[in-house]
Amino acid sequence: MRLELHKVKIQDVQFGDNTRINDGVLYVNRKELQELLQADKRLGKVEIELARPGERCRIVQVADVIEPRSKIGSQGSFGFAEKYTTLGEGETSVLQGVAIILSDCRGKGEATISGESHGNIIDMAGPGSEVSPFGQTLNVVLLPQPKDRVSGMDYQAALKMAGLRAATYLARAGENLKPDEIEIYDLPPLTEVMKSIDTLPKITYIFQILSLQFEPIPGEPTLFGKQAEGMIPTIVHPNQVLDGAITSAAPGLNVQTYQIQNHPMIKELYRRHGTELCFAGVILTVAHNNVADFDRMADISASLAKWVIGADGAVLTKTGGGAPELAMARTAQRCEQLGVKTAIAMLHMGADFKDAKYGASTIFSMPEVDTIVSMGVPYTELTLPPVEKVIGGPRSQSEDLTAKGEMVQWMGSIKGSLCQLGSSRLTAVRY
Amino acid sequence: MKESDDMLRVIHYVNQFFGGMGGEEKAETGPQVHDGFLGPGRAIQTALGSRGEIVATIICGDNYFAENIEGASEEVIKLLTPFKPDLLIAGPAFGAGRYGIACGAVCRAAMNQMRVPAVTGMHEENPGLDLYRNEVYIIPTEASARGMNVAVPRMVNLALKLAAKEKIGRPSEEGYFPRGLLVNEISNQTGAERVVSMLLKKLRGQSFESEVPRPNYDHVIPAPRIEDIRRAKIALVTDGGLVPKGNPDEIEMRTATRFGKYTLKGVDCLRPEDYEVRHVGYDSVFVRQDPNRLVPVDVMRDLEREGAIGKLHEEFYSTTGVANIVETMRKMGEKIAEELKVNGVSGVILTST
Amino acid sequence: MVGSNRIVRGNKIVNPLGNADLDPQDEKELRRAIVENALEALQADVKEQTLFDQLT
Repeated sequence: MRLELHKVKIQDVQFGDNTRINDGVLYVNRKELQELLQADKRLGKVEIELARPGERCRIVQVADVIEPRSKIGSQGSFGFAEKYTTLGEGETSVLQGVAIILSDCRGKGEATISGESHGNIIDMAGPGSEVSPFGQTLNVVLLPQPKDRVSGMDYQAALKMAGLRAATYLARAGENLKPDEIEIYDLPPLTEVMKSIDTLPKITYIFQILSLQFEPIPGEPTLFGKQAEGMIPTIVHPNQVLDGAITSAAPGLNVQTYQIQNHPMIKELYRRHGTELCFAGVILTVAHNNVADFDRMADISASLAKWVIGADGAVLTKTGGGAPELAMARTAQRCEQLGVKTAIAMLHMGADFKDAKYGASTIFSMPEVDTIVSMGVPYTELTLPPVEKVIGGPRSQSEDLTAKGEMVQWMGSIKGSLCQLGSSRLTAVRY
Repeated sequence: MKESDDMLRVIHYVNQFFGGMGGEEKAETGPQVHDGFLGPGRAIQTALGSRGEIVATIICGDNYFAENIEGASEEVIKLLTPFKPDLLIAGPAFGAGRYGIACGAVCRAAMNQMRVPAVTGMHEENPGLDLYRNEVYIIPTEASARGMNVAVPRMVNLALKLAAKEKIGRPSEEGYFPRGLLVNEISNQTGAERVVSMLLKKLRGQSFESEVPRPNYDHVIPAPRIEDIRRAKIALVTDGGLVPKGNPDEIEMRTATRFGKYTLKGVDCLRPEDYEVRHVGYDSVFVRQDPNRLVPVDVMRDLEREGAIGKLHEEFYSTTGVANIVETMRKMGEKIAEELKVNGVSGVILTST
Repeated sequence: MVGSNRIVRGNKIVNPLGNADLDPQDEKELRRAIVENALEALQADVKEQTLFDQLT
């Protein structure tokens, strides 16, 4: 399966009369985009703002981040097109350097998990902008107002869909241009992928895409356009992940759709394919919320890795918080028991981060799961300076002055500073 | 010894035994000062060389200290203040428990009250270790004084670095017990690069070091079974963060440091309008609809009426178990257990999310 | 699990002693079954971490 990402590098973003790209500048017809998004009756008015790197601007209550992408020669929207027959192959237009930011405009109590602080933040200048890739992208911020009698879950689903529609709408502007760069992802089916490289170890990637510690949102297009609560582990081609088969499910703890689109683990396995390893497919799995299904998912994933793919080794990542760490560890354990060697990469979400006696930075302790890469602790603090402009937050309250001022935030509150999929160079060290 | 401006003024703390006063019979001795070094201080002075001078040794009996840790610490600080020390070295205490506690306390007091860097050393099973390791740099030693020759240079090296305000490296590099801090650093490779590399090494049979070690949890001895459940008083405890509306005890939503106890007098069944959930680690929608789904009061009352249990304890205990520290939860558990015991409770059903 | 010696299976993280898909009567019976299992566990002699599985 061969996928080409046609990347057009964008240097600046402005509002303009027509949505087009000229000399590296993306012009956005604000009214047209608003009308497109407001067609979803679950949303009220959709405000759109721009935020550029270097501006002393703070975006709050960030729900997700999406890269503008569209399928060249195909209808539908990235991530949930019904008639999307070429997902994972062919040509996809990408506006590199631009990110669509979804800001949840409901009250603080609803828009944030803990009802505290300002939810997730993106700063466009200062220390906050240095730790997150989204402090360095040209951001198109969508601010859909909630509507009366529309439930919180319907709002969240509509918010996600708005982001994906906007992603396609903007990326279409790049389709007729000569791309600045074409990234090629080409990998044959499992039955052929070993040809001529059968001495190399077969590595599969077990990708936990959903955590059921949070109630899944019915309208979200998490997996091939639909919500994935009832899923059992399945095998997909890595190109399908890159090309919209998966989007980040709310609340997206340290995983954004943008990072799935630019999936660091998949890119790394592709990079080494043919020289050090044979990239043998991606297994999608879910972190369940009860013990029976915990074990069941682990068993199924491990059996897919061992008996269907025939993998020698597997790398694993997780989503969500602490319970999914156990789910990932259990899956790795089952793989090891079947003879598939594993290595896991994790953030210390459930970390016993002050414990000195037990030496624990994991909440599991399984002898087989002994190969662990640390990708950081969300709990280190960062002082963010005051800003001139705040984008987002509920309209119904008077302007929240505290969001403008200096604030101390945990790293985990700065959207994009940590990544459960492996893109950051952070590691947590025990002192 | 030639005094120079660069030479550090060092205080050494020892107990009655290492101070040459005697054994257990001298353990009640209060703190006293001795000019220069004593006993193991000689080895420490040798290791310090020209970089430091032990200007005084403070000796204190282990029992004196153990019976009044705060008071004794104060006294020791008073004694060493006039010497204007740059550095404090205590022990090493090896396996001696009271001595280890005293060393830890003295180091901590020096650091906090006088801003003087301090180092000590003891065996990993010394009770002083867990009490002070979060704040004090402690070098691992053998259980007996045979380990003196190995311990002293390590202690002195670390002490000199602290005095020079150098960056202290990782525990494994510098040779001290991990102090329980988890610090973010920037690696030169992404997480994805590192995990794939590690797996490949593992598959090739090459040696590698996992970035995260496995925890070693203590084995807890199980309590003996309840002989007669029909006469037993059973209590309900939860870490699912269920609290009365308004959260009167201000229990935190994550990394909780407090627990609450809430009356069940006259309560047959928990009513949703009376409670809320303070917990970020799970979606509380179902529990908020019916709190009995987390704290099963309704069923317990039925069982109580039917005589299946003696009594349901008149309060339920609640805290929030997410992103928390084992030590904190353990302390809470101990407190709760104490209260339950006083109230004649013989069994607990703990519910968790 | 750190320290727990008697462990009983609950239903789900989000609903440990309940099941929103059942009608209230059945749900209460499920809750009772889990609690009764817990009471059995309290009356059992254990030497190490033991999981008490319901037969439901």
